[in-house]
Amino acid sequence: MIPESLKKTLEARVASAITAREAAVDVMKELQAHYGWLTDEAVGEAASLLGLSPLQVEELATFYEMIYRRPVGKKVIHVCDSISCWCVDCEGIIEHLKKKLGVGLGETTADGMFTLLPCCCMGMCGDGPAMSVGDVPYGKLTPELVDEILEMERQKA
Amino acid sequence: MPKLIIDDIPVEVAPGTSVLEAARSVGITIPHFCYHPALAIAAACRLCAVKLLDGPVKGIQMSCSLPAQDGMVVSTTDPEALRMRQLVIEWLMMNHPHDCPVCDEGGECLLQDFTIAGGHSRRRYQGKKRTFQNQYLGETIHHEMNRCIECYRCVRFYQDYAGGTDFGVTGSAGRVYFGRFQEGALESPFSGNLVDICPTGVFTDKTGRFRARYWDYEFAPSVCQHCSVGCNTAPQSFQRETIKIVGRRNDQVNGWFICDRARFDKGYLNDPQRPREARLDGATCGYDVAIDAAAKEIDKFVAQNGAESLAFVGSSRLSLEGMTLLAQLARTVDGSRLCYFGNEEELAGSVAAARLLHEKNSAYLGDIEKAECIALYALDLMEEGPMLALAVRKAFLAGAQIYLVDGDPIPARQKLPFTFTAVATLDEVPFEGGGRGVVIAGAGKKDADLLDQLASGGAKLVMLQPGPNAMAGGLLTLEFGGQAFSELASAGKIKGVVCFEADLPDGLIADIEILACADWRTSAAAAKAPVFLPTTTWVESDGTAINYEGRAQRFQRTRVPGLPLRGLDPKYYGSTADAVAEHPPRLHRREVPGGAERDAWRVMAQLIERLGGRTIEEPLTGRWSKLKDLDPEGEGVRVFNLLQGDPRTES
Ligand code: SF4
Ligand code: SF4
Ligand code: FES
Ligand code: FES
Repeated sequence: MIPESLKKTLEARVASAITAREAAVDVMKELQAHYGWLTDEAVGEAASLLGLSPLQVEELATFYEMIYRRPVGKKVIHVCDSISCWCVDCEGIIEHLKKKLGVGLGETTADGMFTLLPCCCMGMCGDGPAMSVGDVPYGKLTPELVDEILEMERQKA
Repeated sequence: MPKLIIDDIPVEVAPGTSVLEAARSVGITIPHFCYHPALAIAAACRLCAVKLLDGPVKGIQMSCSLPAQDGMVVSTTDPEALRMRQLVIEWLMMNHPHDCPVCDEGGECLLQDFTIAGGHSRRRYQGKKRTFQNQYLGETIHHEMNRCIECYRCVRFYQDYAGGTDFGVTGSAGRVYFGRFQEGALESPFSGNLVDICPTGVFTDKTGRFRARYWDYEFAPSVCQHCSVGCNTAPQSFQRETIKIVGRRNDQVNGWFICDRARFDKGYLNDPQRPREARLDGATCGYDVAIDAAAKEIDKFVAQNGAESLAFVGSSRLSLEGMTLLAQLARTVDGSRLCYFGNEEELAGSVAAARLLHEKNSAYLGDIEKAECIALYALDLMEEGPMLALAVRKAFLAGAQIYLVDGDPIPARQKLPFTFTAVATLDEVPFEGGGRGVVIAGAGKKDADLLDQLASGGAKLVMLQPGPNAMAGGLLTLEFGGQAFSELASAGKIKGVVCFEADLPDGLIADIEILACADWRTSAAAAKAPVFLPTTTWVESDGTAINYEGRAQRFQRTRVPGLPLRGLDPKYYGSTADAVAEHPPRLHRREVPGGAERDAWRVMAQLIERLGGRTIEEPLTGRWSKLKDLDPEGEGVRVFNLLQGDPRTES
């Protein structure tokens, strides 16, 4: 159950949209922030806020990369494995991340801090290899830089 | 009108026609999956490539989403286009399980056809296939998601066309999944159309899986007999069992689709308990013995009680053929009475509709779809004419205003696939000059004055009937002066009845003698009758039905009458023990077991003869004879012009 205040905010957000569907991503992101990930319960709540069926929310939730339908760590790392990054050896970066964090793609570190996900182009092709941690994008990655970023993000958390 | 050239053939088409449709109009089929004439264009499968050699657009293009334009020179056989289609099909087949031999879609699969047509025959891909978990989607539809080729037809139908909200497409890229949020029965009353619309074996009809292959089925064009809309269907039967029922296109009546009731409510057709043998005083007898006995009962009754206390009762389950002969049968017994309807309300409604509707004011599917304003008059649309709900939805999506006048609250399970405004009276519906307005009412439970009033408003009318062929009952009541059974019975005017596929209201037959009963169902009346004559259902007989808009449609026998092989009575195995019931018959005989049923009209014709009337070869005579050659594959004909002249003044 979401708190009444959050519900009110979200209702206002939906009311200000021309069509309810247009507010769907915002609503899902807020609920995700509240629960840590978009739980089944949150899908139901989003559906009733938006006047959609749970399936219709699920359609959107599973389409967007930044909406998580399974539990994730405190911070999600999206590491690009698309064409431009591949050309500048994102595979090496991914291997490094896996080793460093002790997890495979799609997994969460034992301390619950990071979840590592591959992603298909972050719009940083010129700065590849690229990744984002939480909401922060990082480019021109090297193994050393990755280590620094991870340390810094861990501190920030 | 754009003029273009496709494979050296000059083609002229209406503006907005796609190149794919233009090619189709001259008999060229371009392989396609996502394109469906009833759905909006998605261009999702990328299979329909053609090459434009000259004109306003050049090069390889998707023909389904490319509007035909003046001066286009199209090649559907260009090597580059062929190669593209071949590669696309190869990629679509990458994850598809090569399990056609065990797929229930085998033999009726568009994927098989177009894989071959697309030129892909050898598998090069060596990797693992992507696999999905299937969902339980209820007792009618089976889900096999691995076979999906992502054409989006199912979701475009389910959500966009039919307004369902519990089934859709989730995920992205290689994980795209078509299903529900959670396992569970599909909620849309039109969900069965997924079976017809999915080009592969993702959705198959669970009620008839793995019983037969397409080429095993006996088929014929038929007309749904579950409500008065009269949607076109093709029942598929095997070994005297109706296994699947699929929709059949008729743009005037139902477009491409049918409702779930039509598709899945078929158990009664195959019911091994259906009465299949003629009976005299409870004992099985030959059919002709029973007909003789029925004639004798009638003679005896008339001699004792007078013809006016005898009624011949039918119902809207009878075909037009049966209905017209029922009138002749009643005339043969001079002075007897004729009923097509069980109760007064139904009779009044159907007769009023038959009297009020004509070529101009009777709305058909297209009028509803194009209406600007629609009033649903005290109507449970999902009950009385489900497919029309989709027509109303189409109008709604195009901007029409929908009103529910004086309606009961709609139960959740009957949720309508459009939004409407509830108002108390018809005066509150803003029909502007009546133009492109439609009133949809149920004729069954309304009084005639009210229907008169609806008809005087200038809007087009739909009067849904209280049974599949009730419009014919109304027209024939006008012609031959029938009465409602309940009225006759409660006024004590009749002492005996002969019934043909009649559904007599309970409680009214206690004091009435049932002389004979002909039916394909068991009923209280049948149990009471000394003579029982089994009749064929609509899948086992040829006939004509007239739908709510006065359209006569011919349905054809889709299988021979008889007990389904699967449901053979143990006695046909030479033993009465149930244990052998699944085993082939041991008796040697020429007749089809349980195949003694006769079409109701033939039974009537034989009775007429026995009672001293004439011999009847052709049931449709007089003005109805114009329907004799009605094409079952055609769109049907409206009967209004055919019946011109006031029937009441004709003898
Ligand atoms: S399930 Fe069938 S209709 Fe739906 S997208 Fe897949 S192949 Fe097409
Ligand atoms: S709407 Fe009526 S006639 Fe049409 S398919 Fe459904 S039950 Fe049959
Ligand atoms: S390819 Fe990696 S950011 Fe675009
Ligand atoms: S039929 Fe044209 S892209 Fe699918």
